[in-house]
Amino acid sequence: MMKMGLQLKTIRYAGFIGVLLVGVISCHDSIDEPQIPAGDLTDIPYNPVPYMLDVPADFPALEQPNDNPMTVDGILLGRKLFYDPLLSIDSTVSCATCHQPSLSFSDGLALSQGVNGITRRGSLSLINVGFHYSGLFWDGRAKTLEELALIPIEDPIEMGESWDSVELKLRNHDGYPADFRKAFGIENVSMVDRYLAAKAIAQFLRTLVSGQNSRYDRYLRGEILLEENEINGYLMFFNIDPSLPDAQCGHCHNAPLLSTNDYFNNGLQESPDLYSFRDPGLGAITGIAGQNGFFKPPTSRNLVFTAPYMHDGSLKTLEEVVDHYTSGGKNSPNKSSFLFNLVLTESQKSDILAFLLTLTDSTTLTNPAYQSPF
Amino acid sequence: MKLLNFIFFSLLILGLASCNDDPADTKGTVTLHFKAVYDDIPLQMFNNRPFENGQTLEFTHLSMIISDLELLKQGSPELLDEVEIVNLTFDNTTAAEAGYTLTISGVPTGTYDGMRFGVGVPADVNAKKPADFSSGNPLSNTAYYWTPWSSYIFMKTEGRLDTIGNGTTDLGFALHTGSDALYNILEANIPLTVQDGLETTMDIVIDYKKVLQGVDIKANPQNHSPDDISTITAIVNNLAIAFSLVL
Ligand code: HEC
Ligand code: HEC
Repeated sequence: MMKMGLQLKTIRYAGFIGVLLVGVISCHDSIDEPQIPAGDLTDIPYNPVPYMLDVPADFPALEQPNDNPMTVDGILLGRKLFYDPLLSIDSTVSCATCHQPSLSFSDGLALSQGVNGITRRGSLSLINVGFHYSGLFWDGRAKTLEELALIPIEDPIEMGESWDSVELKLRNHDGYPADFRKAFGIENVSMVDRYLAAKAIAQFLRTLVSGQNSRYDRYLRGEILLEENEINGYLMFFNIDPSLPDAQCGHCHNAPLLSTNDYFNNGLQESPDLYSFRDPGLGAITGIAGQNGFFKPPTSRNLVFTAPYMHDGSLKTLEEVVDHYTSGGKNSPNKSSFLFNLVLTESQKSDILAFLLTLTDSTTLTNPAYQSPF
Repeated sequence: MKLLNFIFFSLLILGLASCNDDPADTKGTVTLHFKAVYDDIPLQMFNNRPFENGQTLEFTHLSMIISDLELLKQGSPELLDEVEIVNLTFDNTTAAEAGYTLTISGVPTGTYDGMRFGVGVPADVNAKKPADFSSGNPLSNTAYYWTPWSSYIFMKTEGRLDTIGNGTTDLGFALHTGSDALYNILEANIPLTVQDGLETTMDIVIDYKKVLQGVDIKANPQNHSPDDISTITAIVNNLAIAFSLVL
């Protein structure tokens, strides 16, 4: 049924353009005018305007592939694609279904809901994702955003579509060919393809930045003071004050991104040996048994919007998260040695929680540039 | 097989000037295998090993930053590698025996006087931070930077200790060295020959039993205070006897 629908649509648009151009050509054939090939887009101006991202002071430089520099029109196209359910098999799911701006680009579910059931892991916040240079996804299996953006469309559970079909839908759409022209200077509708779509989406994702508006950032810049309990939490999170207990968090959630370039087993899964993890994570990608049960530490920014927590959504609240860490987590041979019974008092635990909330940046939820264009 | 212990740079006495330069532009390859052992046995993670005072320990992560790896030649050392994160975290003996391999091609041929490298990063580099480096550079890795100390983490030795000898590891330890004062340059003085078109292979072996010699892990499983660096200083001081070069 779906396929039929698509083909009909295809014929309608393609036929329209084809007939029109044939008409034009045959009319003017005799008076020797230049022939315009079918699907020509060169009438539409291509004036790429480079986009300069405002990168927070302490952040690493934003690295973009040489063949995909950010432009104003590239980002606009990427945003449109990101919010467009056209990219899914039945036009019900867009990237934003599982990455909602109001939830810091996560989805509030333990495991995500795609066109065809429930995904194997929970969604990740996309804030600052442009700065993740050591692998994307919980298990690091995608290297670049361009590579990653190709994946959800053909994931049978997430969007269940094929790129061949999406390419046809985009080429035959009344708006996208012009958008691709403006973004990438393509000369013909036939040049609209998955790789340009992925590039545009990657450009949009690189604009999703949080690093200067949270109370934590403003405190570091000396603009505001934090409450005493928040400062206590801060000192324990990063182990700054030797007279307070070390909560160990900063080893794996390091400033400024509140993540690190490394993967860890933070004691979520019980396993008697290296081979019995329910979800082996990084180990399944690298083939190194010692890395089974290793996952990427997500950013600790905007946590208030991204519950439930962890790759399996197993911890529902930040209280549960702090309890998990202070208890030392579940045992397995390669559990990080930073996970053990931390012996924090209840008031110290609540100080850590108070600090985590200073990492909230609600401007990222309302930034007009991040919102759906539809 | 020749085995030579490293000495501290400060103890260096320049050896004989034995540089007889080969004709220009001939190059060879140097392959280095960094290997972790414990009491001479290849060190596999997550496996019990006897430690001091009846305690047993197991390692979960071993790594270090190596800087300015050079072959020595009077006047002009040959830089092989500026900076490298050497990860020695191996979960099986085969991998542990193979070690961490570093291959440097295009090394000018000749007989060198020895080898030198630093464990950690020198002060001028340590004044920078991960965000100052592009993602291809090992020093961009935030997992090797400790913000409260404004220092790179030079060497990570992590694991768990069975403090009462009852068969269960009850204490996690993470002994991370860092800070300018603890940057340590090691040097082995032994003639090393690189031949045209050939591969010279060497093992750089580090014995973690020696690394932890005299370290009271139970009392100091982690270093929390920049003002109390006695534990990690002991580790750094052990490095010269813990490292050996095997030809
Ligand atoms: C059905 C829900 C769903 C849809 C639709 C979806 N995602 Fe995701 N996304 C997820 C889940 C779940 C993960 C984590 C999966 C994993 O790591 O294995 C994820 C991870 C990611 C990440 C990795 C973030 C990081 O920190 O590594 C990016 C980037 C991303 N998605 C972008 C997209 C884009 C772009 C689209 C649309 C083309 C999209 N997603 C569509 C659920 C979804
Ligand atoms: C050994 C490294 C390590 C330490 C120490 C650590 N974390 Fe994590 N953290 C991780 C990893 C890895 C994950 C992802 C685990 C997973 O889902 O499998 C994570 C996930 C989280 C999450 C869930 C994020 C999300 O979006 O789902 C929160 C919140 C968190 N950590 C907070 C903390 C706090 C607070 C501390 C200190 C009390 C801490 N972490 C200490 C490595 C660590």
